[in-house]
Amino acid sequence: MNALELHGIVKRFGPVTALDGVSLAMAPGEVVALVGENGAGKSTLVSVACGLYRADAGTVSAFGRQLPPGDPRAAIDAGIGVVYQHFMLVGPLTVWENAVLGREPRRLGFIDRRRSRREAADVAARLGLAIDVDARVETLSVAAQQRVEILKQLWRGARALILDEPTALLSPQESAELMRTVRALAAEGRAVLFISHKLREVLAVADRIAVIRRGNILRAAAPRSRTDTAALADLMMGGAPAVVARSSPSRMLPQPGIVLRARELTCSSDRGLPALRGVSFDVRSGEVVGVAGVDGNGQTELAEAIAGLRSAGGLLSLDGDTSFHRSPAAARRAGMAHLPEDRRRLALCGSLSVEENLALGHHSSPPYARGFLIDRPGRRAMAQRLIAEFDVRTPDPSARAADLSGGNQQKLVAARELSGGPPPRLIVAVHPTRGLDPRASRRVHEALFAAQRGGAAILVVSLDLDELRELCHRILVLFDGRIAGEAAPDASDEQLGRMMLGQVPAVA
Amino acid sequence: MPELRTRLFAPARDPLWGAIAALLVSLLVSFLAIAVSGRDAVSGFADLVSGAFGGIGPLGETAIKSAVLILTGLSVAVAFTVGLFNIGAEGQLIWGGLAAAVVGQIDVPGAMVWSLAAAALAGALWGLLPGWLKVRRGVHEVISTILLNWIAIHLVQGWLVPGPLGAPGSGATVSVAGTEPIVAAARLPRLFFGSRLDLGFPLALLAAAAVWWLLTRTWRGFEWRAVGTGRDAARASGVPADRRICEGMALSGALAGLGGALLILGTEHKYPGVFRALRAGATRLQLVGIHPSFAELTQGLAVLLVAAPRLFLPLLARLRGRPAAAASDPPIPTVQP
Amino acid sequence: MNLILDFAPPLVFAALGGVLSERAGVVNIGLEGMMRFGAFAAAAGSIVSGSPWIGLACGALAGAAAAAVHALLSLRFRADQVVSGIALNLVALGLVTYLLQSIFGSSGVSPNAASLPRDGFGHSALAYAALIAPLVFHLWLLRTPAGLRVRAIGEHPIATATLGIRVLRLRAACVLSSGALAGIGGATLSVGILGQFDSRMPAGQGFMALAAMVFGRWTPLGAAAAAFLFSAAEALQRQLSFSLHAADLRLEGIFLALPYALTLLLLALRVGRTRAPAADGVPYDPEDQAVQP
Repeated sequence: MNALELHGIVKRFGPVTALDGVSLAMAPGEVVALVGENGAGKSTLVSVACGLYRADAGTVSAFGRQLPPGDPRAAIDAGIGVVYQHFMLVGPLTVWENAVLGREPRRLGFIDRRRSRREAADVAARLGLAIDVDARVETLSVAAQQRVEILKQLWRGARALILDEPTALLSPQESAELMRTVRALAAEGRAVLFISHKLREVLAVADRIAVIRRGNILRAAAPRSRTDTAALADLMMGGAPAVVARSSPSRMLPQPGIVLRARELTCSSDRGLPALRGVSFDVRSGEVVGVAGVDGNGQTELAEAIAGLRSAGGLLSLDGDTSFHRSPAAARRAGMAHLPEDRRRLALCGSLSVEENLALGHHSSPPYARGFLIDRPGRRAMAQRLIAEFDVRTPDPSARAADLSGGNQQKLVAARELSGGPPPRLIVAVHPTRGLDPRASRRVHEALFAAQRGGAAILVVSLDLDELRELCHRILVLFDGRIAGEAAPDASDEQLGRMMLGQVPAVA
Repeated sequence: MPELRTRLFAPARDPLWGAIAALLVSLLVSFLAIAVSGRDAVSGFADLVSGAFGGIGPLGETAIKSAVLILTGLSVAVAFTVGLFNIGAEGQLIWGGLAAAVVGQIDVPGAMVWSLAAAALAGALWGLLPGWLKVRRGVHEVISTILLNWIAIHLVQGWLVPGPLGAPGSGATVSVAGTEPIVAAARLPRLFFGSRLDLGFPLALLAAAAVWWLLTRTWRGFEWRAVGTGRDAARASGVPADRRICEGMALSGALAGLGGALLILGTEHKYPGVFRALRAGATRLQLVGIHPSFAELTQGLAVLLVAAPRLFLPLLARLRGRPAAAASDPPIPTVQP
Repeated sequence: MNLILDFAPPLVFAALGGVLSERAGVVNIGLEGMMRFGAFAAAAGSIVSGSPWIGLACGALAGAAAAAVHALLSLRFRADQVVSGIALNLVALGLVTYLLQSIFGSSGVSPNAASLPRDGFGHSALAYAALIAPLVFHLWLLRTPAGLRVRAIGEHPIATATLGIRVLRLRAACVLSSGALAGIGGATLSVGILGQFDSRMPAGQGFMALAAMVFGRWTPLGAAAAAFLFSAAEALQRQLSFSLHAADLRLEGIFLALPYALTLLLLALRVGRTRAPAADGVPYDPEDQAVQP
């Protein structure tokens, strides 16, 4: 009897069909990997399987029993547990509160705290997960939060576990640790569905691999060999050019002039804790420098400090100007361009049109404005040019920016930042291709290369080590607010991973 | 024909139709309520309409009241443009009216203009305060503006007008007289015979046009709209968001203040001791035995329904000629077409 | 001191109502309107039945009914919660004035209603209830399963939904209860203190309750403490005004404005160091794709 069985699932969102008759089955003790590119339908499938979404057609069954659609509680009762990519944890509550939420052990009408804490700690210990059950979840690291999510599902007796992109935010070592946990869970007789777009990991741990593309499952069989990446990649992307004819940046050497200089940079996080503890580095004209590190080690704050969004101590200069980062306006006047991590919040005014968003940041100068008036024809012409140049898919420049897909939104932001005004001197790109499909990612990378050819200095912050390898001349690794090390693009996952966990002494 | 229908009911126009539908529904509900209560609903409504639109006198009355409503409406709209709810129009209006009443007592050339300017300034300050409190101290503007309304009401109508600013010789009891009347030069000139319609109405229209032009044609107005729809994005792109919010609130207050000035300079010609809320036509309702608070009720219902445009979404979709869309907004597609 | 215990309960109950609603994630600006409905219904109920306790029950029901409209608009139709609350206040203003006129033929005050009995110290049962209720609420919020779930849906409703908890249902229950509490607050004014309904009720107390909630950092104990503080200020103002013969000096306005100004000042000084529940005011949309990257 299968632990989890999906049969003929169809799911549409308006005119878009996310899942087109998907079927998948998992036996107890089996690890099945679901691979596909962003936008292929993986997360939608997960949401249907656990009852968060109601499928338009098809059935979901667990251990022989068909589940009512759109009912998360029924799915949970049937033993399905999901660890989402974006954690479903309630920040201000403690670990044990999050674990028992919805099924609280009771005593005389109140929550039985003692029992709750004990049971949570027991489950954690049994699987070797290091967790402090009394800690408030919002204070924990990303990897620790993930352990809490797993604990939460196990405490509920999940026999079929679904992990959605679990290694997206982990260092290589933490990922390896997670794989060990996955195998241990399978050995206990649980079924694990492991969703990822990272082929290497998947091959290492899965019994069977299912490839999904554009809402369809193409293959669900055991991998032919442990190094089957090329064939899998081909299947995932449907024959689209897997290798891009690119001018690799390492062939374009940086020029000697220093554009960005940082010395003993310090900065605080939103909580008031130190986020940067004395970071020093240079970026030259035409150079692409990557910043790697586990989320939460200061990368966000570094980008914000340079963009003028966060005050910072120490020295920070752009072309010799040390006050450029006092405010976003000053930074932009000095030639900074910023592709932020949270584009919806920091880069787009959702209710405004695509054309208006393309003008943002340059809107008070020609060709977007004349004097204090908006130059409508000029602005419209610029918008059309940028849309064409960056292939932003929108029905009309006056469509709402919020209605664009994530990929097109990022292209919009890239278009505006890189081409919307005078050529930038410094580009700060944070997770520039997160959530984008390969074509959109390529476009963004090409835009960055073009800017690089124009002499811009580029700082790329990313969690995707492969992306950093492809783009950068060198990679800085941040750990605990300091530069733990510097690596060349050919550094191994292992080397980078050790630096990301602070296991290598800092390089001067 | 279907082309016109699509254009007329395009999604962008939803709020307009929602508002119209809301207005119609609330009027209908009021009509039914009056009818149910046994009063003569038909003649009541007929009176409402004639009291508002029948003849040049009533039209003038309607125009005067709508001038104030236009300005206060603009005030709320401008605040909303920078992303804040300005519930404080009432307080800003009161200070504006008082400023006009006081400055209007000074007999100088251009008294009318000075009075209007004073009113705008007073309103602007009272609008700036909650704006500043929001950006600097994070005080939610709904709470602060409502508190400021009460403060304005009590300070002006409970102290200043009966006390230091009141007309002398008003007696020991609460004065009904209000402030000293304004000089003739400060009054808004009347435009037609047989009507109290004054320069206020055209002024309000002019203000509306000016605000529209400011918001849609200047890049400063664009910055306001950016701040209102995506404050962090606007700030990250270099717009001084906090300053723009304060500017927006100041303008918002100024517009409401001007509304108060219109009442004083056009109709009352002084700040009265007893200041009733004004509703065109509602006083006629009383003659038919219908309580004027029905007008408040109607207003409330209208606002209630405007707050829930989704109520009308299915209807609008059908009018558009397409089957009703799903209840949720179309989400960002996860599959590239 | 006695005055405080007398005047605080309406504010305390309303503030607790505000806390309940907002901790669950629904902004409730309509407390003022719910108090008004509650005050009127309580007076009417008491007059008609002759029993203040029935009046009190009517007050609670009226508040809950008004809250039901707010819940319907905000939760089912995803209307903007602030606008919905304000609209409710407007409707309450007009409708209650009309009812006062049509039922009791008055535009000022209602006829005398039987009010709640007072004990030897001159306090009604509600005064004591106002002292106990915050404690009970605090325990409930922090120690019971229901309280835990309410806290969860106010912070991260989607996460809570994945655990099978019906977010909208729980939010609706909280909003209705919040209305009932506000209604009780209003009822305290008419059958607990004054003994009749005055057309100006609750005269801004609903907004004061909101301020108390914010000042008290959205916790039951904090909001109650703030409510007591505001009432003390109000009592002080009344004493000062009376003893300084403010009415004679036409200075009444200054004293009347003082409590509001004080509230504003306190808000300006305190706020900025704490935050509302994370999901407060955000309509809950189960199929909101914003969760996905």
